[in-house]
Amino acid sequence: MQALLSFQQAPPLAAPVRFFLTAPLFAIAGGLLLAWSEPAVLLSRWTPTALALTHLLTAGFMLQVMLGALFQILPVVAGAHITRPLLVARLVHAALTAGALLLTAAFLSYEPLAFQLAVSLLGAGVALFVGAAGRALYGLPVSSPTIPGLKLALVGLSVTVCLGVLLAIALAGTSVLPLQQLTAVHLAWGLIGWGINLLAAVGFIVVPMFQMTPSYPEWFTRRFSWSLLVLLTAWGSVELAGGALAAAAFAATLVLVAAAFPVLTLHLQRRSRRARFDASQRYWRVAMLSLLLAGATCLAGNALTEFSEWQAWPWLCGILLLVGGFMSVMNGMLYKIVPFLVWMHLQNLGGGRFIAPSMNKVIATWQIERQMQMHCASLCLLVAATIWPEWVLRPAAMVFLLANAWLLRNLLAATSFFHQHRERIAALTTTATGRA
Amino acid sequence: MTGKDATRMIDARGLEPPEPMVRTLDALDHLESGDELLVLLPREPFPLYRALEINGFAWRTTCLPDGTVEVLIRHQTQ
Repeated sequence: MQALLSFQQAPPLAAPVRFFLTAPLFAIAGGLLLAWSEPAVLLSRWTPTALALTHLLTAGFMLQVMLGALFQILPVVAGAHITRPLLVARLVHAALTAGALLLTAAFLSYEPLAFQLAVSLLGAGVALFVGAAGRALYGLPVSSPTIPGLKLALVGLSVTVCLGVLLAIALAGTSVLPLQQLTAVHLAWGLIGWGINLLAAVGFIVVPMFQMTPSYPEWFTRRFSWSLLVLLTAWGSVELAGGALAAAAFAATLVLVAAAFPVLTLHLQRRSRRARFDASQRYWRVAMLSLLLAGATCLAGNALTEFSEWQAWPWLCGILLLVGGFMSVMNGMLYKIVPFLVWMHLQNLGGGRFIAPSMNKVIATWQIERQMQMHCASLCLLVAATIWPEWVLRPAAMVFLLANAWLLRNLLAATSFFHQHRERIAALTTTATGRA
Repeated sequence: MTGKDATRMIDARGLEPPEPMVRTLDALDHLESGDELLVLLPREPFPLYRALEINGFAWRTTCLPDGTVEVLIRHQTQ
């Protein structure tokens, strides 16, 4: 077999993998923080613990996985090559890791300097990545809806971080801004403008590719990302201007439009040609169902008086969205991306003389299955903790911690597999050269 | 260089990655000078282009109305 990669241009394995190995550490820290918290933490989404936990999962776990995956996805699905990928990855990774840790510390201490340092690092890391990715995507022919989708997702990320910087300035006490409205807009841009848009742009390619489903309809892929961004802009403007009724109507429309992606994905999954779903496919199913439940919770919390009086409903919505939706899909994607990367790099190192082991051998299937069961158990327990916090919160936090430690273990097993086979290939090459 | 003239064809539209790339590169190992390989795919194969480029192959891509992407490959020296 021929060589697969040009090492001058393709991202080395270390570029994305450093992000993937760091991400579970943030989720483990989140589990520890929750395990140490009092059950009363679930009574408000505005406590330092709630804000620190949210950012451990979003600016920590999710951002690491999303940007790490983009280092691989941009060249593979869009033909967009980041210049000097390893250097960019090192700088972005260092800035994001330090920034997310400082942001957590800032929320727990309310120390102005920590906020300033955190947003400087996160802002610089994201700006560097968006610049590098934007340059790689610039001028590419639009051969699939994924390319405009990725560009719009990067716009969503930039707006989210800019709003986050504004909020941090306000929290550091140097500015008077409408904090509550600005937080809502920051949250919506982060979860929908960046999160759902990126998920959809990538899903348009990877769901049919890996799950053997029909393609998403063209009318949908062309309009989905744009619709979300237009609605987000309209809703955000009305929200900040104080038009409560119009803002509520726009917010409901936004949630319903965003829900079209999980509905369509579940519909396509039902038409999959696979006889039996693998773990990644089941992770996607859990994620899509969780996103729909999160959307329903959000609509109920804003429209139904009795439900909105339940203090833990924002937590329920957050758990369904972050742990059930985004983290589930990212776990599932990691189990496709990492084995593919290991296989591709081993195949290339073999140089046509040695065949790389099959992708399925990179991480043992039973380890993936058990980790997925643990993740799903943590999701159920975290949901239950919003109803019975005194009894369930700590066990839920511990199971969540274990599920992410298991994810880390599985990803480390993949990197260890790569190193073992790389040494084997090196030894075989030396032997073959000696014989020649 | 037209698809009709290809000496061998791989229909990889129903295959899960990395199988389309594995089969294509395996077939290229046995592609004689003057022969052409036609690969049918459900999307543009950017990683394959890179592999073709560094292994000395020329290719032409055609997107069909049904969404199928045809990649016709031959040795660059032809």
